[in-house]
Amino acid sequence: MSMEEKIVEELKSILGDLGEVWIQREKRVYAKVPKNLVLPILAYLKDKGFHQLTTITCVDWIKRGKFELIYNLFSLYHENIHVFIKTELERDKETMPTAIDIYPMAFDYEREIHEMFGIVFEGHPRLDSFILEDWDGPPPMRKDFDTAKYVEEKYGVKDYTEEIWKRMEQPYREEKDE
Amino acid sequence: MGLFKISQGRSLWMVHFCTGCGAVEMPPTMTSRFDMERFGIAPMATPRQADVLLITGYLTVKTLKRVIMVYEQMPTPRYVIGFGSCTVNGGIYWDSYNVIKNLDLYIPVDLYIFGCMPRPESIIDAFIKLRKMIEEGKANKWKDYIERYDWYKQNQAKLFDINKWRVQK
Amino acid sequence: MSRVKEFDFEYFIGPAHPGVTGNMNYHIWAEGDTIIKIEPNLGYLHRAFEKLIERRMWIKNFPLIPRICVPDPDVNEVLYAMAIEKLMGIEAPPRAQYLRVFMLEMSRMASYLFYFGGVAGTLGLYTLPNWSIGDRDYILDRFEEISGHRIYHIYQTIGGVRRDIPDPGYIERVLELMDYLEKRLKDYDKVFFEHPIFKKRAKGVGVVDKETALKFSVTGPNLRAAGVPYDVRKAEPYLVYDRLEFNVPQVFTDGDVYSRVMQRRLEFEESIKIVRQVMENLPEGPVNIKLRNPFELRVPEGEIYVKVESSKGEYGFYLVSDGDVKPYRLHVRGPSFSHGLQLVRHIGPGTNIADIPVILFSLDICPPDAER
Repeated sequence: MSMEEKIVEELKSILGDLGEVWIQREKRVYAKVPKNLVLPILAYLKDKGFHQLTTITCVDWIKRGKFELIYNLFSLYHENIHVFIKTELERDKETMPTAIDIYPMAFDYEREIHEMFGIVFEGHPRLDSFILEDWDGPPPMRKDFDTAKYVEEKYGVKDYTEEIWKRMEQPYREEKDE
Repeated sequence: MGLFKISQGRSLWMVHFCTGCGAVEMPPTMTSRFDMERFGIAPMATPRQADVLLITGYLTVKTLKRVIMVYEQMPTPRYVIGFGSCTVNGGIYWDSYNVIKNLDLYIPVDLYIFGCMPRPESIIDAFIKLRKMIEEGKANKWKDYIERYDWYKQNQAKLFDINKWRVQK
Repeated sequence: MSRVKEFDFEYFIGPAHPGVTGNMNYHIWAEGDTIIKIEPNLGYLHRAFEKLIERRMWIKNFPLIPRICVPDPDVNEVLYAMAIEKLMGIEAPPRAQYLRVFMLEMSRMASYLFYFGGVAGTLGLYTLPNWSIGDRDYILDRFEEISGHRIYHIYQTIGGVRRDIPDPGYIERVLELMDYLEKRLKDYDKVFFEHPIFKKRAKGVGVVDKETALKFSVTGPNLRAAGVPYDVRKAEPYLVYDRLEFNVPQVFTDGDVYSRVMQRRLEFEESIKIVRQVMENLPEGPVNIKLRNPFELRVPEGEIYVKVESSKGEYGFYLVSDGDVKPYRLHVRGPSFSHGLQLVRHIGPGTNIADIPVILFSLDICPPDAER
């Protein structure tokens, strides 16, 4: 039995009927779990030897009205296999408990997701502005934020106008008396 | 005073500030293949003793605050060169919410270098053109900043709060 | 005699500074000369790539993609092309795969030469940057002949590479350049790698040992210098790396600044070996698959994660597609996000202020790929 099939067997024996586990291709195992089982599964996999949290991705499915979080785990001792734990949240209604007690690397990934998508992680000590400073609009990576309209309103410049051509053609100013 | 202007054009010191992705072509210009120290140009760490500020590439709103702090600390006469096509109209990031589109509204610019990226030979060519402009007395946009200070500050106030230089803890 | 109590001082190693690698900021609290707390501050170079990529068609994203990582731009293009090809189920022809390996290894060598110049500059030994950045220009000349631009070569496309090598004499010029670089490494040894000042200032400084490296998601040459022989080219071979012969050196494994610099110097020699093997065994054939109409290309639904070994660490793309003419979501996993933030907060306290630029340059932190 290959290593991917062993991991699938173990995860299925814990989850039972509550989630799905499948193999996507070589060295990639996916598991879809409900929201309240994510932290126990992360703790179980960390005990087994999955020492590295590579990244946390967030996808905005606006037509269905949900956010999807994907945790990407990796282990050197299990033949370099990546395990992806997926979960879904209601848009603007649900919050997620934080994972920094299990993996300390999640501190900065969760800060970035909070700033870009607006998801609140309960128990995180510091969810303030990280990359954007003095930002006054909605969280920018959501699908209903239109950046071209925002740029027109804030910066006010659409294309080359008469004024801009005149300023660029004469880079120096005429001296009236010297 | 012709002698003063001739000698000023031959020793321009630039501020060592890599603001954007165009800064990856600055080390080849400074080192042994396209040596620019033979023209009298050298990098300087502090803005209090520098002449030229090179804006290498795009500017975000967070960097623009710091660039204005650096520009206002330089002693007059001071010159600004805009580097790359992102300073002209935003370049390839024309629809990004964090990149400023028109550098000329916030600080006065003397010279533009076009390209993405400009080659090291174009950078040296731009410094030679700046030297000629200084000798003829045409590189005097710094006086514009002093006389029309309110207009520049009004443009800057649309992006951030000019009375509050916030320090992030 | 009683001593005056020293207070905590706050400093900024700010954006306009020759001691940080690029445009970022570190906020330091220090007592005397020893550091108590260090806090990074990012966001000066944020261009919102992930939002801009969702607004353009699949083939129109290629000019935007190499600008994510500035010293090593080929990695992004190869990853994007590989992710789309795996979702569509097509494979590039063999000649195109050999040329992709060639571009990746030349880009790795150019990035390592830039790195050596940076580390030597912080210690005050300025002969090495003047030599190594001048030698890196010969590599950029070869890039200019094959693709037209020195830094951002938009050379990969969906199904292969855009054009073939310009003329048959190109292979001889590349092999001459490899002989020249191998001879120059002996000059660099005399000037920098065996210099007593470098050895004294680099041994035992900024130690990242094996448990810390595994706990804080460190990858790449920083992990190999701590004693773990993990290389993506051997663990999950992509393109034609399983047919080429090269080693993963494990000689210097203490985890300090000296080991990290010497690890990259040994991997530089391995890259020269790989480029020689590729150029002497190029197969014949076409260089790309003709697509019917690239402006109306639709990629089938699905999601995929691909990864590649770059000169900084493990670089990954997570691509989600829903069958449209534009991508739905692309998430970039840059190696500097884990090196530059949590790791520096952990190993910073206890060092001297004068050692901070040496440690930051030796970890090879590049802010554009940490904040995209």
